[in-house]
Amino acid sequence: MVKAERLDVERIEPAPGSAWLIGLAAWFVPGSGHLLQKKWGRAALMGGAVWLSFFVGLAMGGHMFDLSPDGTAPVSLFDWSTMIQVPPMIANLGSGILYVVSWLMDIGFADDPAQAARTTYEYGNTFLLIAGLMNYLTMLDAFDVAAGRKS
Amino acid sequence: MKHFLVMMLFAALASIVFGAISKDTTHERVVYGVKVFAEFIVIGLALGWLLYFIPW
Repeated sequence: MVKAERLDVERIEPAPGSAWLIGLAAWFVPGSGHLLQKKWGRAALMGGAVWLSFFVGLAMGGHMFDLSPDGTAPVSLFDWSTMIQVPPMIANLGSGILYVVSWLMDIGFADDPAQAARTTYEYGNTFLLIAGLMNYLTMLDAFDVAAGRKS
Repeated sequence: MKHFLVMMLFAALASIVFGAISKDTTHERVVYGVKVFAEFIVIGLALGWLLYFIPW
């Protein structure tokens, strides 16, 4: 079967409900989507990369984003200072439970000038953003495997 | 040196994920991962030197 035909077949077949659940689990707990499908190696590598990136980012003093600019309450959702927080917040949200727990415990969200002055602050931010983005890729991979679109 | 090591760690983590989600066989994935890692390092160093000579 040539690639174009294979793509046509894939378009016709809808993904089973379990694939969506696995995708959700993969987002919420990084690596769990592959673990549930007994893809041990990929779970360890991809999930491990996300977890490590997240904790290295936190250890470097990185900062995560939510809708409150500079630690203050958002004026309005359509305010520029709030809207500019949204793209990095979406990246951070990719970390799933890591983001949620950190947000609930207020770890990595405080706007502390001393923390921002650390030489590794920007590196930390980048690692935290990348952890979330890598988990989105991991989630999509787990979904594709569960849907039978990938081995 | 610390900056370079951090960049290497970043490149390693990103290339692990890029390698794992791409291609069909384990061999192809490893080759692709190593290639992405090398590209991160080479481009990072090249940009570092380029910015070093730009005075602002």
